Amino acid sequence: MKKLLLAASAAALLAGSWLAPAHAEYLKEHRGGTIRLLARSAAGTLDPHINYTDQGWQMYQPIYDGLVAFRKAEGVEGFSVVPDLAEALPTVSNDGKTFTFKLRKGIKFSNGQDLGVKDVVASFQRIFKVSGPTSGTFYAGIVGADKCLADTKSCTLEGGVVADEAAGTITLNLTKPDAEILYKLALPHAVILPADTPAEDMGSKPIPSTGPYMISAFDPNKGMTVSRNPNFKQWSEEAQPDGYPDVVQYDFGLSEEAAVTAIQNGEADWMFDALPSDRLGELGSKSMDQLHISPLSAWWYAPLNTRMAPFDNEKARQAVAYAVDRNTLVKLFGGKVLASPVCQVLPPDFPGHEDYCPFTKNPGAKWSAPDVDKAKQLVEESGTKGQKVTIIVEDTAISRSIGVYLQSVLTNIGYVADVKPISSNLQFTYIQNTNNKVQMSVTQWYKDYPAASDFLNILFSCASYREGSDASINISGFCDKDIDAQMQKALDLGVTDQKAADKLWAAIDKQVTDKAPAVGLFTPKRLDFVSKRIGNFKFNPQFNWIITQSWVQ
Amino acid sequence: MIYAILRRFGQMLFVMFGISVIVFLIFFATPGADPAARIAGRNASPEVLAAVRHSFGFDQPLYVQYTRMMEKIFVTGDLTSFVNRGWKVVPAVMDSIPVTLSLVFGAAVLWVVVSIIIGIVAAATRDSWLDKLLMALGLLGISMPVYWLGEVMNLITQSRYHDSWAFSWVPPLGYKNFSDDPRGWFLTLVIPWITLAILYIGIYGRVLRAAIIESMQEDYIRTARAKGLSETRILFRHALRTSLIAFVTLFGLDFGALVGGSALLTEVVFGLHGIGKLTYDALQNLDLPMIMATVMYASMFVVIANAVVDFVYILLDPRLRAS
Repeated sequence: MKKLLLAASAAALLAGSWLAPAHAEYLKEHRGGTIRLLARSAAGTLDPHINYTDQGWQMYQPIYDGLVAFRKAEGVEGFSVVPDLAEALPTVSNDGKTFTFKLRKGIKFSNGQDLGVKDVVASFQRIFKVSGPTSGTFYAGIVGADKCLADTKSCTLEGGVVADEAAGTITLNLTKPDAEILYKLALPHAVILPADTPAEDMGSKPIPSTGPYMISAFDPNKGMTVSRNPNFKQWSEEAQPDGYPDVVQYDFGLSEEAAVTAIQNGEADWMFDALPSDRLGELGSKSMDQLHISPLSAWWYAPLNTRMAPFDNEKARQAVAYAVDRNTLVKLFGGKVLASPVCQVLPPDFPGHEDYCPFTKNPGAKWSAPDVDKAKQLVEESGTKGQKVTIIVEDTAISRSIGVYLQSVLTNIGYVADVKPISSNLQFTYIQNTNNKVQMSVTQWYKDYPAASDFLNILFSCASYREGSDASINISGFCDKDIDAQMQKALDLGVTDQKAADKLWAAIDKQVTDKAPAVGLFTPKRLDFVSKRIGNFKFNPQFNWIITQSWVQ
Repeated sequence: MIYAILRRFGQMLFVMFGISVIVFLIFFATPGADPAARIAGRNASPEVLAAVRHSFGFDQPLYVQYTRMMEKIFVTGDLTSFVNRGWKVVPAVMDSIPVTLSLVFGAAVLWVVVSIIIGIVAAATRDSWLDKLLMALGLLGISMPVYWLGEVMNLITQSRYHDSWAFSWVPPLGYKNFSDDPRGWFLTLVIPWITLAILYIGIYGRVLRAAIIESMQEDYIRTARAKGLSETRILFRHALRTSLIAFVTLFGLDFGALVGGSALLTEVVFGLHGIGKLTYDALQNLDLPMIMATVMYASMFVVIANAVVDFVYILLDPRLRAS
């Protein structure tokens, strides 16, 4: 079926313009109108090469395109990569180190310029020239990236990204094979912008785009207007389908409470921020049909500092993992609808996930109940009983309540525990810096792309630990040479055999979980509250609600 | 006169310098406040972190950073936010002034008129049930925190009774430009005006009543009575006028502070993107350039408002004119 669709869309491309019948009919019937979105505040810079927020990434989907894209579809389908500005997925050669893309012809930017191979080369250079947040990680494997990282201004990526103007092809050379490169290329950090885009953070200035929409106005204090790109002609329904609303008006500034009321009154269609928990009961009873619950590939966890007492002791760490009642945490987060208990690293339905829970009564696949006796016994054995532990949490209602709960758990199993909430904006960098001597904290990790390494390798590899730096994402300071070697092996294996690699990742997940460098708390879910007039709500697992695939009339 | 103005100006510069240094130092003394990692993004590599640190000048000594920031605010005016990068903070503050002025000015008219009426009525009917009722209501107004009152107002006008005849006219939260839609501007601001004014009506009504009662015992009132002036004339021409001095002092300070951003909670609750909301968001995001710009703006306003109050004193009180 999928293949058929692919072939059909390729044929359609030749024919000029074509839409799947359903989509085409719907488009005629529902096209038009303005969809109004609300958020407490803007998502930071508009520059897609720099913005690294869920809010920004979601909004970029109908605006910008990369060579490839995540399929704009619901469910697991949405995790697959499809060709976008490239005609097809790249041909791979040179033992998985060379990728050749053929660029589609006839695509124009919203400012009327034609898209060409030079734009692709310039965009890849720009990732480094603007010091994009992931330039040193996701894209560091491109040939010449090391030079670009050392001196951003003179970045050429010579030998790394090579364009053939005549053939309309771009060749991407990597220093070593990377199984995840297509995922990385499908992220907004690698979208293609006009070659003459200044090599600096464009901040509040919109950059011309290739998708069905363009940003036509932006004020971080007021809002963003996204309107139709007059030069857009649909080239691939699965990569970049035409949208329903004529305008997306994204307004910033209303509080969460006010936003809920505005949606109830039909004055707005959706809000980005999490629903205030005191309104959930009301919404659940009165507007159930306007609520959409979707799974997230995310992890709420409590990193334990493996380089400081008492959690430099493995038994002490396992004791905490045994003692935490995940059901209580789920309740604190808003109940079973909004979260589910977890004790391993990889979230459910994620590549490499195999249900595993050693830290529960009756260890097995699923968590059932806390085992406080076992925890107390482990604390005794570890000889850490009576030590002081401070938990650093974010200063939000939910994090504080989780912190206070964890404090009671630690006290119960024999520690002298204390909770310190600090500003949500500081906490995440504060807990990473080893100079702050954080023993335990509560934080979250959301996937960048659907690969096990995005959790395990990033959060628990030796390379992610950087002493004295605010950017040391291995918050636990966990470094196990053996596990590190296995992760490297799984990364390499993924190039040739993703299935086998995922098996290996599942084993690594178990090993890391057993060592308990962090305590898994729960897997959160996304709750979207939309207005009555929103039709065709679709949730993409990679970038959340596909805004412009919903209609308002 | 020129000397007085220059002295005021000197004071203003001194105050602003002091405040800016304090804000700057507090920011950098806060543990974990280093903005480089937050700007660079999660899991940034050391090279990227270093590049960001360098491009924002965080690798320079603090006094250099301070001087550069002041230069960018006051001389070149191109200081940009750390959070919404590329967003120039000085124009952002300028854009927000009309919103805050609309809110505070309307509320001020409301609270001055109503509190003068309440103060006079209460003083004139001293110790009667009406006086007691008005003072009790005033106390109630003072006791209600504005963020709570605002949320309750929203709950009533936007949610629970939004569809009833009484509140169906209330437009959605947010600000409308006066030049685009004068009627919408007025309607969206009515509820915020009332919410903000209630606190001040309570304070000012009580202050004015006390001042009138106090001045009614002054010698010049006895003289006026001895001259055979009517009680109404004594109350309005003599007692009220001198009583307004305390009122004006308070008003100057409150108005200055509100225009300077103290209407923060009202603006946040009603989704009005004025100075207060800018300050609130900047504090939430720990966005130093924006915090600095709004604080500078606020301190400037408080100093200016104080100067204006001093001049109004002279107009009100003949005794000050002579000296």
